Amino acid sequence: MLGAFVRAFRTPDLRNKLLFTLFILTIFRLGSVIPAPGINSAAIREQMEAVQAADTSGIYALVNLFSGGALLQLAVFALGIMPYITASIIINLLTVVIPRLETLKKEGQAGQSKITQYTRYLTLALAILQSTSIVAMARTGQLFQGQIPVHTYMPNQDILTLVTIVFVMTAGTGIIMWFGELITERGVGNGMSLLIFTQVIAVFPSSIAGLWEEEETWLFTLICVAGLVLITGVVFMEQAQRRIPVQYAKRMVGRRMYGGSSTYIPLKVNQAGIIPVIFASSLLYLPQLAIGLMGEDSENRVVRFLQDYFVTGTHPVYMATFFFLIVGFAFFYVAITFNPAEVAENMKKYGGFIPGIRPGRPTAEYLDYVLTRLTTPGSLYLGLIALLPMIALGSAGASGGFPFGGTSILIMVGVGLDTVKQIESHLQQRNYEGFLR
Amino acid sequence: MLGKPGAVDLRPYTKLLEAIEAREPELRELDDAGLTEKATELGNAELPYERGDLVELCAVGREAARRTIGERPFDVQLLGVMALLDGHIAEMATGEGKTLAGAMAAAGFALRGQRVHVLSVNDYLARRDAEWMRPLYDLLGVAVDWIGEESTREERREAYSAEVTYASVSELGFDVLRDRMVTDVAEQVVPEPNIALIDEADSVLVDEARVPLVLAGAAESTEADVEMAELVRTLRPGIHYEIDDEGRNVQLTDAGIDAVEEKLGDVDLYDEDDTSVLPRVNLALHAQVLLQRDVHYVVRDGVVRLINESRGRIALLQRWPDGLQAAVEAKEKVDVSETGEVLDSITVQSLVLRYPTRCGMTGTAMAVADQLREFYELEVAVIPPNKPCVRVDEEGRLYATREEKEDALVSEAASVHETGRPILIGTQDVAESELLAKRLAGDGLECVVLNAKNDADEAAIIAEAGKFGAITVSTQMAGRGTDIRLGGSDMSDRDRVVEVGGLYVMGFGRYPSSRLDDQLRGRAGRQGDPGSSIFFVSVDDDLVMNNAPETRGYEAGADGEIADSGWREMVDHAQRVSENQLLDVHRNTWRYNQLIDVQRSVVLEQREEVLRNGLGDRQLAVDCEATHAELVEEVGAEEVARAARLITLYYLDRGWSEHNAFLAELREGIHLRFLGRRDPLDEFNRDAVPAFKGFLDEARARAAEAFSELEVADGRIDVAGVGVKRPSMTWTYMVHDHPFSSALETVVGKMKGQGRTGG
Repeated sequence: MLGAFVRAFRTPDLRNKLLFTLFILTIFRLGSVIPAPGINSAAIREQMEAVQAADTSGIYALVNLFSGGALLQLAVFALGIMPYITASIIINLLTVVIPRLETLKKEGQAGQSKITQYTRYLTLALAILQSTSIVAMARTGQLFQGQIPVHTYMPNQDILTLVTIVFVMTAGTGIIMWFGELITERGVGNGMSLLIFTQVIAVFPSSIAGLWEEEETWLFTLICVAGLVLITGVVFMEQAQRRIPVQYAKRMVGRRMYGGSSTYIPLKVNQAGIIPVIFASSLLYLPQLAIGLMGEDSENRVVRFLQDYFVTGTHPVYMATFFFLIVGFAFFYVAITFNPAEVAENMKKYGGFIPGIRPGRPTAEYLDYVLTRLTTPGSLYLGLIALLPMIALGSAGASGGFPFGGTSILIMVGVGLDTVKQIESHLQQRNYEGFLR
Repeated sequence: MLGKPGAVDLRPYTKLLEAIEAREPELRELDDAGLTEKATELGNAELPYERGDLVELCAVGREAARRTIGERPFDVQLLGVMALLDGHIAEMATGEGKTLAGAMAAAGFALRGQRVHVLSVNDYLARRDAEWMRPLYDLLGVAVDWIGEESTREERREAYSAEVTYASVSELGFDVLRDRMVTDVAEQVVPEPNIALIDEADSVLVDEARVPLVLAGAAESTEADVEMAELVRTLRPGIHYEIDDEGRNVQLTDAGIDAVEEKLGDVDLYDEDDTSVLPRVNLALHAQVLLQRDVHYVVRDGVVRLINESRGRIALLQRWPDGLQAAVEAKEKVDVSETGEVLDSITVQSLVLRYPTRCGMTGTAMAVADQLREFYELEVAVIPPNKPCVRVDEEGRLYATREEKEDALVSEAASVHETGRPILIGTQDVAESELLAKRLAGDGLECVVLNAKNDADEAAIIAEAGKFGAITVSTQMAGRGTDIRLGGSDMSDRDRVVEVGGLYVMGFGRYPSSRLDDQLRGRAGRQGDPGSSIFFVSVDDDLVMNNAPETRGYEAGADGEIADSGWREMVDHAQRVSENQLLDVHRNTWRYNQLIDVQRSVVLEQREEVLRNGLGDRQLAVDCEATHAELVEEVGAEEVARAARLITLYYLDRGWSEHNAFLAELREGIHLRFLGRRDPLDEFNRDAVPAFKGFLDEARARAAEAFSELEVADGRIDVAGVGVKRPSMTWTYMVHDHPFSSALETVVGKMKGQGRTGG
């Protein structure tokens, strides 16, 4: 495995791609710690721990996670890639609704580049919106739950300074977007995913250091070991697949018989990936948003109900809802992306079959059966992983926050595996063996 | 003359035009020998041409062309020559004299000691252009030759030894493939690649590049599967089997499976452990149902011979692959011949990329400029026409149904024909041409049909398509490369035809890409001639049906015409979708062949070592020390080296052919990996790399095993005795003749579509 990495660096154009990617990521990290003009970040850093203790599952927790802590430091890249991700999701949803976008999508490169252009415009619009709201929240002190006096980190509050901050943060988002595209184009892996990956792991060292300072050694060791076990487990589950052999019996090829082992349908245990978690989290932000709109002290019974069960992330009702939503979405996602009847029909048409099973309906039924049996443990696993940080928080010990949050680990492992696979495929194209099985 | 964006800047070339013209009076004074000498003098330097030499070359070439071909090349043709010499694709409209420009550039390369292969789309054009330009080459002191399908090995070797060789892409490709199979250096015919000059570059580099050229050899013969042939004869369509809409696939129904299993006596066709029966059933069924005698093949002298569908004549060296040939032979109850086995294949990309310098010309290059850059590192130079084009491209007409489209086209043709204006109707395929011609004839409009059966005859026919009152129906490729001159090929009646408006081009349906539409349009308006073009489209055209998001809900007039601009836009959209699909196929061919090319080069390198430097002998002397020494004593070192070479080459080729078969099988089902959210290409590479690991060692081990069993007969080593034999014959097929391939591409397309909507 090490040999393969060495080889990756010995292959000139692959080495260039890797170095280029690292270079971009470095600049990206740099921008995430440079404060926007008019911000005294030293003042924020001093008070940070107090703030983190106060807010563990606020609306901005996920956003801050994706910005690698840049948001709460009011850095140049404070917004991270969230605006771009949001814009992509919106545009993707709109392609289903707006026929013109759909026709563009089908036209391939030319159409796709137009869609990309729309996504970029929308990203900038969202960036202006978000940076404005962040600046507004920072100005009132709301961003830090009033824990830090506003004048210490934002001494000058005239309109020009505020506009400059908004301007800089929006421009920062534009640059990040460009970085992402550069990596996809000339580097290794998917630029956007790698940028999220960088930000997610960027907070790791500081939160581990925090643990080291706060916790006793045995607890610290336990948490780290648990984290490693968890990551290994997730890698294992993400790689797990059931291979259903398929044979094509339309012709006689050569003399050697291959036993049909070369062709199979790989069905992943976690066929849905991280999407159900993201869906469920977004859905569970809705109650919090509703409360924010109606006011926390409202006497409305709905608000009271939400306030009781859905605001603190550690409440059993919240956790149960979260869990079942994830399981449900996982099944839903698999159902819409994998249609056994269609796959069976397609195989039948071109002479493919699963040994031992007749083509057509029996094949579809078999695929459906296997898929259900795989998705059941897969979705349970997804739900459990996502619940982990909440369970860890709920159990007394780790007050500084459990650094191995489910979402972060899923993202880390997912993007990590994808990127390694990309490097591998570059090597394989040159007839070198890869390092993953 | 600023050129289009994204194209090569022509200004450096245009600056030279004056100087070239200034040389003309002096060169005119020279006699032929003096001109040849001037040309030869240009050979005293290396490529690339300096400005002064470039001027001289163009001036000498122009004078030589004037004397020999009878045409004084226009300034724009010289621009084309200069762009070609710089290794670009020159976009020159129809009738601008591409052939002459190409010949001048080829001579320019040849004079500087380079070997030029001029690649064309078919054998007819290769021969015609070589013979047509021969006087020019002679005068410039450059040797020229050509290759055709019937050329013998000797003729080929001689042709390749000329400085400029004209050949069709497929002939060149097959020669390269055959050269890879030789066991003696003396048998190779294709020299080291040097310069490729590609005529009709878009057709060769883009359209033909979607499918690889395949060389097959005869392997051992199989038993005639008469049992299956008899069995499938009893099955009934609709009940026991179904045929899909395109008539490309046939499949057993549930009842059919039951019937077959019962007749074979209680076998389970889909049994987990033994699936050997099913391919036999499928092949027999394919032969019985999808291949018809006298349509797809003929039986002559007890032998099944294929009919090349696109050309409508018997294809001598083509066979069905993978056991299908034997199944057809069983169906016809003739003797079963040897089965074919793929020996090797080559894509147009890797064929063309062998040449360090590439250039070419075509009428439509800008539309595929991106692909030329991506796949061939070629830039396009847009050469302006000599006289501005005054052709009128009328807005297309859209109809609801095919019948209405046909009615409209025929009545339009009738009214135009009354004026005596020549008409050219472009159709999608041969069958459509014939149907349309029948309809036209029924309405009293006599027409000539081109159906790609004979390139030479058709070139002659299409050359006359500009005659007063002519109606010609033709497919897209038929007669490409031949000009349509107004008033017939001798232009005797030109004035009358110009008066009525020149050639009227009518497209019967749009082509899968706008580039092909432009090719058809470009038939009219040659050299500033008057002319016009119009396309007739219907919503139920394949192009629209398969690619438009919506094909219902339009409002049509009484004659079925749809005037709504949104629906016209829909046709353009459908065409863009189709262009994108074609690009995907092209890119897939390219991507899937990257790794194969790397692996192939490993094998070829080894093969060259064995072939030229006796590597096999050295290896076997080590691996089978005792046998080797014994044999050397008995028959001499030279004979042993020969045997060692033959055996080693045999197992290298054998192994490569088996690896090829494995890759083909892997590729066939690789799209299924998409269902597990894996990238099929990565998965393909992931499986193909380990399968190739140890390839050379295994071939070496197998050679050693065979070598140790060698026996001597009459002072010679009997290599055939250990199973080493060359394929008794080879034949070729391009993969679009391959009955399974399009199914494969379709299913890949379908799966991808599925993934997009789902994920």
